[in-house]
Order: sequence, then structure tokens, then C-alpha cells
Amino acid sequence: MKPGFDPVTYAVPAFILLVLIEMIWAARKSPNSYEPRDTLASLAMGLGSTVIGALTGGLIGLLYWWVHQFRLFDIGWAWWAWGLCFVLDDMAYYWFHRAAHRIRWMWASHVNHHSSQHYNLSTALRQTWTGTIALGFLFRAPLVLIGFDPAMIAFCAGLNLIYQFWFHTEAIRKCPRWFEAVFNTPSHHRVHHATNPLYLDRNYAGVFIVWDRLFGTFQPEVEAHPVHYGIVKQLGSFNLLWIAFHEWAGIARDAWNAPWGSKLGYLWRPPGWTHDGSRDTSDMIRERWLARDQAVSSE
Amino acid sequence: MGLGQDVRLRDESHARQLANAAVSDFEAASLTLDRARTGALLRDGNGRVMLLRRHGAHFAARLLDNHAFARLDRNFLTIGTGETAFGSVTLDLGDQAQVWASSFRRLEGRLP
Repeated sequence: MKPGFDPVTYAVPAFILLVLIEMIWAARKSPNSYEPRDTLASLAMGLGSTVIGALTGGLIGLLYWWVHQFRLFDIGWAWWAWGLCFVLDDMAYYWFHRAAHRIRWMWASHVNHHSSQHYNLSTALRQTWTGTIALGFLFRAPLVLIGFDPAMIAFCAGLNLIYQFWFHTEAIRKCPRWFEAVFNTPSHHRVHHATNPLYLDRNYAGVFIVWDRLFGTFQPEVEAHPVHYGIVKQLGSFNLLWIAFHEWAGIARDAWNAPWGSKLGYLWRPPGWTHDGSRDTSDMIRERWLARDQAVSSE
Repeated sequence: MGLGQDVRLRDESHARQLANAAVSDFEAASLTLDRARTGALLRDGNGRVMLLRRHGAHFAARLLDNHAFARLDRNFLTIGTGETAFGSVTLDLGDQAQVWASSFRRLEGRLP
């Protein structure tokens, strides 16, 4: 394999084809699953993300190669290293993704992906333009330090991303039970894109849903609670620049207006945190909803 | 392909459901639908006012605060949230437009 080989590039035609197939399905079965302006915004975000990724990817690669000189082991290219690298990379993705929802600096980048009120294959392509600034690449650095070759990590990360494409759909309700138990699926990931209090900040997995089961963040999709997609405060806009930068603007505004002692809190605390308690974090929304639900159930 | 069809609020119950989905502890005590059913104004028991408006094939909501403004023109009420990207909305609220305009004056602190 050549260093820098990116499997995602080769998957793009398949992505486009599958979006078209899903559109045909939607036209027959669920016309409001797609909305032309929403789809265009998602595709434009995906295109922008690809261009910016190509520009910044080299810098991250250089950083990984620099870190690689301090590696603990020489793992090399043994057959077993591929499998191990894929599994560990997926765990690194889980923690990256969890941090991306829990630290506002990282959320400002990741929120782009959640900003659509639709959940279809084009939503999978709605990717961030500011991922490098959000420092998400640091979560894979431990794999480099352990001794996995950066090119192997990049390849596994590419496969991981490709896997994550197909489950952004409402066309598939449930997969076989054994598959739902181990792998991330459309049902599990619908929960992740939901704004329902019960579902907030759940199911961070990339490929293996077992990480959520293991680390206490798993929530199955429940028929009694149909999913509402998007973000807690829906954007109400198809403006690309607003989609890409609204949360960064929000951080700047909040930090500017906050007293000195609280300014940094708007960078590293969870989205929704305020120094004066005037807004809600997802934990607060979820806990309040669960308390009300419990009270209603016990009446 | 007919994707993203013209969505409208079906009835008051639909508007209540969407408001509750937008803010989980918002239980509308009173509401008025726009005549074209592309938006609504709702008030809960705590006096909070919510604007619901169509966004593509879905609806988006905002709790209105003292940054909101309203302009009354007979049965039409134009409401701005103070957010440029969210924009302003003109709702045809019939004879309820005047009542809601008063609510906004209270939000702005101009009336008791």
C-alpha cells in the first residue's frame, strides 16, 4: 500500500450512487425524507470538508510522523496489526466523538454534521470545515505512540468513515439482532442524531456499538419515542456559512460577554453551559425529562 | 422527484407536539395557527412565548425573549427573533393578531 492511500476517495462514486438510490426510494415511500435545499447544503458541506481536509491532512500526517519517532513498539505491517489497528482506531473514534459532543470547542466543529433536521445518506456527507481547529486528530495520536504506522491508521480511519456512511438512513428499520448487538446500525445512529431528551448524547460509536454498551452511553431506539432529528436549537437556515460557523460565532459571543473568570468555560464546558445558568446542557434537559417522565408514570 | 413537499401544520395538536419536541418542558396553554398553517404562536403556563415556523420540510422553533420584536398590520403580525439567520416571519393570525401583539409589548417590558 502506498503511504497516504485514502480509501474514501474511491468510495465517493458509491456514496453518490447510493444517495440517488435512496432519493428514488424516498420519492416513492417518504417524500419528506429529502428536501432539495437541505441536500444541497449537505453536499456543499461535504465538498468543502473534502477540500479543506486535503489541505490540512498533510499537516496532520507530518505531525503523526513526527510523533511516530517516539513510538513504544515497532508494530510494522504484520497481518494481525491491521485488525488490531482497526479496532483500536474505532475506540479512539468513540472517545473523539464523545468529546466532540461534550466539549463546546469540539462541538463547534462537529455540530455541522448534526445541523440537518433530515436523516438520510446526504446527511452523512454534511461534514465539518473546521475539524483541524477543533483538534480531533489528537485522539488518534496514542495509536501512533503505541507504534502503529500512521499510514495504517489513516487507512483504518478511512474504512471507518466509509462504514459510517450507510447507516445514515431511515430506509432500514432494524438489522438482524446479532448485528445490532455488535455493530453500529441505522437504528442506533438515528438515536445519536435525535433531539429527543431520552436520546441526547447517546450512541457515539463509529463501527462497533459495543463501545457504547461498555462505557455506559448506549440507548436503543424505542418505538414509543419517534426520533426528531437535528440539534436542540434548530438552525432554521440553509445558509452554508451559518451552518459551518454558527457555533464558533456563539462561542465568541458568549466568551466576549462573560465575566473574566467564566470566559474559558465557554470553550471547554459542554454545549449549553452558561456561567449564569440561563441555558441548559443536554444532561440537564435529559435529567429534567426523565424526572417528569418518572413522575407521570408513577401517577 | 417530488421530494420535500409542502408541509403545513395539520392542526393545533400538531403544533403542540412540535413545540414540545423543540423544548421538552413547553406545554402550550394557548396558541394560534397562521391561516396558511405554515407557522404558529404558542404560549405556555409560565408565560413563555414560542414562534414556530416552517423550515424546508420541517418546522423550527424559537422561544421569544426581549430581543424579539413584532409589527402589527391588521391581521398580520411580523415577528423577528433578533437572530439574523433565523429571520423574521409574517403570520396571518386573524383577529388574534392584536392579542399576540400585546403579548409582545409585554415581552418588551412596555406594558405591565
